[in-house]
Amino acid sequence: MLEIKDLHAGFEGTEILKGISLSINKGETHAIMGPNGSGKSTLAKILSGHPSYEVFSGEVIYEGKNLLDLSAEDRSLAGVFMGFQYPVEIPGVNNAEFLRMAYNARLVNEGKDELDPLDFDDILQEKMDLLGMENKYKERNCNDGFSGGEKKKNEILQMAILKPALSVLDETDSGLDIDALRVVANGVNKLNNENNALILITHYQRLLDYIKPDFVHVLSHGKIIKSGGKELAHELEAQGYDWLTTTN
Amino acid sequence: MSSTIAESSNGAESAVLDLHKKFIETNQPSPDFLALNRKALGQFAKLKFPHRKHEMYTFVNTKGLASAPFSLKKESSIQREFVEQHVYAGCERSHLTLVDGVLRPELSDATALGTAVMVGSLAEAIKDKSVKSLLQESIESENDVFASINSAFMTQGIMIRVGRDNQIEAPLQILNVSTGGESGPVMTVPRVYVHLEPLSELKLIVKYVGEGDNYFVNSVQDMVVEENATLTHIQVQADSIDAWHFSKNRVRLKRDSRYLGYQATNGARLVRHHNEGWLSEPGAELVLNGVSVLVDDEQSHQFIRVHHEVENCTSHQCFKNIINHRARASFDGTVVVNKGAQLTSSDQLINNLMLSDEGHADCKPNLMIFADDVKCAHGATVGQLDEGQLFYLRTRGLSEDVAKEILTQSFARSIIQEIPFAPVVEELNQTLLKKLEAN
Ligand SMILES: Nc1ncnc2c1ncn2[C@@H]1O[C@H](COP(=O)(O)OP(=O)(O)OP(=O)(O)O)[C@@H](O)[C@H]1O
Ligand SMILES: [Mg+2]
Repeated sequence: MLEIKDLHAGFEGTEILKGISLSINKGETHAIMGPNGSGKSTLAKILSGHPSYEVFSGEVIYEGKNLLDLSAEDRSLAGVFMGFQYPVEIPGVNNAEFLRMAYNARLVNEGKDELDPLDFDDILQEKMDLLGMENKYKERNCNDGFSGGEKKKNEILQMAILKPALSVLDETDSGLDIDALRVVANGVNKLNNENNALILITHYQRLLDYIKPDFVHVLSHGKIIKSGGKELAHELEAQGYDWLTTTN
Repeated sequence: MSSTIAESSNGAESAVLDLHKKFIETNQPSPDFLALNRKALGQFAKLKFPHRKHEMYTFVNTKGLASAPFSLKKESSIQREFVEQHVYAGCERSHLTLVDGVLRPELSDATALGTAVMVGSLAEAIKDKSVKSLLQESIESENDVFASINSAFMTQGIMIRVGRDNQIEAPLQILNVSTGGESGPVMTVPRVYVHLEPLSELKLIVKYVGEGDNYFVNSVQDMVVEENATLTHIQVQADSIDAWHFSKNRVRLKRDSRYLGYQATNGARLVRHHNEGWLSEPGAELVLNGVSVLVDDEQSHQFIRVHHEVENCTSHQCFKNIINHRARASFDGTVVVNKGAQLTSSDQLINNLMLSDEGHADCKPNLMIFADDVKCAHGATVGQLDEGQLFYLRTRGLSEDVAKEILTQSFARSIIQEIPFAPVVEELNQTLLKKLEAN
């Protein structure tokens, strides 16, 4: 589904990702861990098409297409979803209306008719129930004044509505309290199936207890320095990153 | 069409003086009114048209306006359907239509207002000494040359007076229609005097539209809000695109009174709002919000002076401009807090959203504080759309154009939604926000 080949990329001429290769198949969940500043969010932004980030060399193939050729919106329409580490606030744009526009953009792209607010509300309500979300998420403006945890929940709500084929969740667990984490993780698990794939960026084993990864990768200084199964996350939790970086 | 003038060799000022002579001959104002007209003309001659560095016109080039060979409109005809189109829902029986500045009873209907509101001509109203002296005083102390022209050429004017302790349910609309000049530019001088007696309330909506081009609507509103009264004043500028639109509001606020002002500007060749408010007794509150959406070569300028004369008064200002293409906007606003005006609370916020490189926004927010125990804040921004927000929307599958449209519309909507009259909100969602649609 996704093939990253020797990706070198960064920001304003500075190389942050220094040769990343990663292969992800349908139905798989990959966790990416690594110290602060190692390049995890940079990778997520490159995958989602942030215009401020540059690719110096390498390839990203998604479903047989060159992902890097697509605009951010086309990547979304092609089924790539990015759950931001720091979702931005959009004051003045009602959240339910925003979600409906995003949903409709997808329908139009598939050649279908747009949904009116009433019909969309049924879909929205179902997803909100799934994630245990209160009505205020409909009434308020998008992320405007939301707490850190509320913003993360709102990201997962968007994921539930857009039903992406490939989701990249950047530290969705940070900021969630233990109950919210369980609900969100359950929601993500319900959305998961053999046809989609998930990249989870996280610092905490805790999330991986709920969403079981098939692979764990450790990113350090812009490189994947170790890959393994879910037991790798336990080792990291117990020993920190030092044992990996010092031997590297 | 009489009294056409050309720019005389003595400059634009003498052209106005000439025009005034013809105006007096044709209109033959009553002696009392004539005295006011003359006084204003004297003030005009003192003030003169602004030169380039005039402090009240720092950002506004009035050269083309001052030198345009204006004439005065004599007869205008207008279709009833045109008026009906522009009367807001809820104002069907509470609207006054001014065509080229003159009240047209046959196109007006004030029956819903009942007897609590007195509507008449200013020419009549000045028989009341207090009305006359207030007019006189504002003419003598006039600081704006264009407003002095309004006073020099005003004929009937409108007086609206709400009696003590009357809270008027029906919103009152004043519809200003300009029919324009066929053979050259015309000037019209709508003049309204609003007086709210203690404990009364009125919602006044003033809309400006054009049914022709090539006109200068030069309007002045005097407003007095007495003890514990509330005046809501909504202005919608929707003139023809090649019009000049100047509007001056003077608000005097007494003890515990409120003035809630909202100004929506669709833009035109040159729009200038001049707002001046005096919080002259404790407990008075003034709110002034504005939104403009300007495209092509449209211009809109705000000039504001708020005077906190005594303690315990509040003023809020919030203005948002969206500027595209080669459009220009400016804001020149000063809040003066007099010595002794302790516990004043005042804020002023101006946000300009620039959608093009050629657009232009000038900002001069200013505080002059002579008291020590006050809470004042002001801020001004000029910026583009937020890259982070744009990207966020795009990652949800919305095209760049649609994302921009959503963000610009939400910028304007934050002011539009505050307007306490639903038909205007709906209208602006159609007109102002339409100007921001991705095509
Ligand atoms: N927009 C930016 N401007 C400047 N530097 C940046 C930018 N984005 C990333 N960087 C730099 O690139 C490096 C990698 O940052 P990145 O955000 O990818 O780290 P991370 O692994 O996600 O860290 P964390 O665990 O703290 O979220 C850091 O040194 C960071 O300062
Ligand atoms: Mg990060």
